[in-house]
Amino acid sequence: MEKLMGIILPMLEGSGITLQIFFVTLAMALPLGLLVALARLSKFRPIRFLMEVYIWLMRGTPLMLQLLFVYFALPMVGIRLPDIAAALLAFTLNYAAYFAEIFRSGIQSIERGQYEAAKTLGMSYVQTMRRIIIPQMLKRVLPPISNETINLVKDTSLIYILAMNDLLRVARTIVQREFDMMPFLVAALFYLAMTFVLTWIFKKLEAHYAKYDE
Amino acid sequence: MDRDIMIRMKNIYKKFNDLEVLKGIDLEVHRGEVLAIIGPSGSGKSTLLRCLNRLETLDCGSIEVEGEFLAKEENGVAHYAVKEDAHRILSKMGMVFQQFNLFPHMTVLENLIEAPVHVKGMKAEEIIPVAEALLDKVGLLSKKDAYPGRLSGGQQQRVAIARALAMQPDIMLFDEPTSALDPELTGEVLRTMRHLAEEHMTMIVVTHEMAFAREVAQKVIFMADGEIVEQGTPQEFFGNPQQERTKAFLQNML
Repeated sequence: MEKLMGIILPMLEGSGITLQIFFVTLAMALPLGLLVALARLSKFRPIRFLMEVYIWLMRGTPLMLQLLFVYFALPMVGIRLPDIAAALLAFTLNYAAYFAEIFRSGIQSIERGQYEAAKTLGMSYVQTMRRIIIPQMLKRVLPPISNETINLVKDTSLIYILAMNDLLRVARTIVQREFDMMPFLVAALFYLAMTFVLTWIFKKLEAHYAKYDE
Repeated sequence: MDRDIMIRMKNIYKKFNDLEVLKGIDLEVHRGEVLAIIGPSGSGKSTLLRCLNRLETLDCGSIEVEGEFLAKEENGVAHYAVKEDAHRILSKMGMVFQQFNLFPHMTVLENLIEAPVHVKGMKAEEIIPVAEALLDKVGLLSKKDAYPGRLSGGQQQRVAIARALAMQPDIMLFDEPTSALDPELTGEVLRTMRHLAEEHMTMIVVTHEMAFAREVAQKVIFMADGEIVEQGTPQEFFGNPQQERTKAFLQNML
């Protein structure tokens, strides 16, 4: 029993870091992704081009490389961020790019007639997007957003290379010290529990949006 | 200028890439008049309507709505009014689409009050009684809390008419309002439009419903290949068409 607690308590602490990365990344990357999607659909070619380059860079290189870059390369040019902030920066920029593409596809799937109806009723671009297009888009993108969100839970484990004591790194440390594979099993259960909760939340959200058909 | 002229379009030209869709259209609509625009598909009749409320941009020509220029022709090019003026002029026209285009994530009542609240800045409690009265008029008050997806096509189109009316337009534009409906559902929509005409709403109706054009319209315009081929009162137009194109078209339709 005591031994089990010796495993679980540090792992709970480790999952604190994991959850912190997860929630803060989500809270920043979702709105940022929406802004990037709107900019990516902008009428102004330079803005559109800039967003395409950004998305290409973020999707075209490994997240681990991006983490290493923010953590090790930025300090060389004089930008020194606290450990956790560095990780959050890389995660947010990376996930915002993926969310942006999901939001963009959702926005583009809304029929032209919706824009036309809004326009003939006198609604401005901002009103049309905020009140008509984005709410309908959110319903359609829930499944892919749910996918990405679950990916994020697992991707948080990449920060072990930055020597931060997240859930997986704590587990590995204990395994190496005690020659006991139990911590891996516990880590798996932690991740499964988190994704179970997420799956449940997204199910509820989909049920909420199912109140109207299209 | 004749105060009774609600809409005057002059010398309207519109191209999509290299395709000339409208080739010099002139038309006038008087207060309280119902104008029916008919013609084969591809004749430019929907484009003409969409130019009127700026869903399409003119290449050349002028549009006057109740004496104000939405677009003015200068040196062969259409120049639009500045944003605020254009917004005010456009708000005088309500539009009904072939595909209804109701907002699926809002209830019927929310669809009606959306623009009055967020565009005109009315209070919900001011507009809700008006919206409910309109729904009652189109026979759908009992559906006010339903989502559009639960309604039949005919019901959706009647809601769409009520939604446009909730903005209190002076002119109603209808773009083939019954073309997406099953035949047994067109009647209820046409009845609603007939009531509107009886209340002297100024209406422009692009339609394939010859019976409606004949019985409700005061003026009929027949378009083909981007031009007005023939126009007149329904009696003249249906009773004694002058042009061969018109005769051939009517023969096919009736």
